[in-house]
Amino acid sequence: MLDFLQAVSDGVLFGATYALIGIGFTLVFGVMHKINMAYAAASVGGAYAGLLVLQVMAGAPPWLVFLGAFLAGGVLGWMVYALCFHFIPLSNPLATLMSTVGMLLLIDEVIVHVTAGMPQNYPAMFDDVMLRAGEFSMRGDLLLVFAVSVLAMIGLLALLYRTSLGLATRAVSQQPVAAQLCGIRLVRVNALTFVVTGLLGGLAGAMIGASVGTLSPLLTTPLTVKGLIVTVIGGLGSIPGAILAGLLVGGFENVLQLYRGVTERDLYVMLLLFAFLTFRPGGLFAAKSGRD
Amino acid sequence: MNRIAFAISVALAVGVAHAQDKTIKIAGFGAKSGPVRSFGVNSEAALVAAADVINKGGGVKLADGSKAKIAIEFYDDRCNAEEGISVIRRIAGTDALVAVGPTCSNVAEPLFGILQKKVDDASDSGLQFPVFTDVAIKVGLAKISQWAFRNVPNEMTMYNSLFYWLRTQYPGLKTVYGGVEEDFAHSRATWYIVMKDRAAASGFEVVGNTKWLLADTNFATQVREMKKANADIVAISAHPFSACGALKEMARQGVKPKVLVGLTSSSSMETLQGCAKQAEGMIIPTSFAPINKQAVAAAKTTANFKGAADLHSMAAWENVFILKQVMESERISGKPGDVQADRRKIRDGLAKLKTTDGLIGVTKRDAEGEADKPYLFVQAKKGEWKVLHNPL
Repeated sequence: MLDFLQAVSDGVLFGATYALIGIGFTLVFGVMHKINMAYAAASVGGAYAGLLVLQVMAGAPPWLVFLGAFLAGGVLGWMVYALCFHFIPLSNPLATLMSTVGMLLLIDEVIVHVTAGMPQNYPAMFDDVMLRAGEFSMRGDLLLVFAVSVLAMIGLLALLYRTSLGLATRAVSQQPVAAQLCGIRLVRVNALTFVVTGLLGGLAGAMIGASVGTLSPLLTTPLTVKGLIVTVIGGLGSIPGAILAGLLVGGFENVLQLYRGVTERDLYVMLLLFAFLTFRPGGLFAAKSGRD
Repeated sequence: MNRIAFAISVALAVGVAHAQDKTIKIAGFGAKSGPVRSFGVNSEAALVAAADVINKGGGVKLADGSKAKIAIEFYDDRCNAEEGISVIRRIAGTDALVAVGPTCSNVAEPLFGILQKKVDDASDSGLQFPVFTDVAIKVGLAKISQWAFRNVPNEMTMYNSLFYWLRTQYPGLKTVYGGVEEDFAHSRATWYIVMKDRAAASGFEVVGNTKWLLADTNFATQVREMKKANADIVAISAHPFSACGALKEMARQGVKPKVLVGLTSSSSMETLQGCAKQAEGMIIPTSFAPINKQAVAAAKTTANFKGAADLHSMAAWENVFILKQVMESERISGKPGDVQADRRKIRDGLAKLKTTDGLIGVTKRDAEGEADKPYLFVQAKKGEWKVLHNPL
């Protein structure tokens, strides 16, 4: 039983990073009804860019690296928008999908060429802290990641529901034409959505780097897959859904790993996805209208 | 008279120019993109650096007594089997006489499979092209084809020696536990076929192993299993990224084995760049360390070409010098019309070799084309790999 609880706890805490990636996917989908396949790669790119802080200022505290990643993520988010969405006809869903797949590969390869694929040590906070209750333990750095993720989600929800930008974003997501007629600049709102998700992505990349302790271009593909799974299970466009699904997927895969081994783990995660697509296609926070 | 002298001097000048233009092409191939790009970058740098040294010394002596420069052309296979096969077919279509590569075992195995299995077997339409591997290290692959040769360390010998040495140095140690990167051909084979077996042969009790994948990010469950086993020795058979992830989780959970053993491929700067602090004390057998003048010089020259010297890249360096020796002893012509004949001569020359000179000593070669390279044990200390013991 203790092993089970430990696996759930480890998985759920790590799942906070999946939730952060999932939020990025879901927010862009909610606003533009497009999938940004480059999101996880840009997040990892932001995290790598954060390491530049250590080049400029050796011995800089980890929070400064996280801040660097956060800001770099915003810049990358804007770049992804400019290159993959702004000049590409949005009426063709495949065009933007493919352009973001291309961007994913481009960012991945840029990282590989700059670092020669070498893993990079990533700073963490509270990585030497382990909370213990008998045999049960919780990693301090993962608790920080969890807390940062929750704060980021609260911040995002506040932005969406307490600011004029949030109001404009929600208006564009519901009725883009009507929003334009009301004087909302669609291009500006879309670009800002990418910047905001980019900022969040940079933070997510930094949190993932901190929780693994190392960054590698190997991270981009699995994080993209996990982000998409979380987005679908949570319900496309639903931020609370992405949060819950991230934690669920994290816990689920860790428990399956405990009982069925690492080689079967991803198989069961995929089965979970298929189960949702079949029985609850709208995800955890599905609209009441149902699958048809 | 003056006209004749002029004509002779022009002819000589043309002849000299022609001789200077002679080149022997060696193709290198391996991963130059993707997460293991560093393998290809370092191999290419070592190949070009070795060729530069040879060229500055005059080049390769051909059958007619003239000399030819070595030209290196490197191809990217992305550590992907299909691309590797496509690349070797492309190389075979050029005037390259031999290829050095690949960097990944998952490429080497199927790629050797498309080469002609037995020389002169008319019923086998496989590719007749010599491949001299520098990096892909999985045990026992050269026997797939008589056109395949390897200059990679023999992990069976190395880990046999390492575990025997550990047994004699630390007689109090009894148990071994493995951490395996399950989805990578080399790391998987090294644990299940080599480390596990050799540890048991040296009298250690192998108390279990835990598994993870190359791109895994969460090692908590695996390290908890490792902690429960409480083994004296933990052997991590994984490449730098996942090895670092596991080592960092071990540090968090307070797993401190008395001895930490690593995978040969992790005795590189990648591991130290990713997790020098957590890898402190890790012992790895390797076939390269800058322990003598020529090894230091090779590392320095490779660095000039923006490559790092490690057990893999220095094998590429050695390959170029071995190939020069073979080309000269087999008297290749280097003429465009003799490409296939020269390839065959190189193959036959490589097959004849019983020993070759390496950077840290003499390499023995077996009839299957495998190498038995000299090796030593290195240990991670304060961000560097230091020689711990030279068993030879």
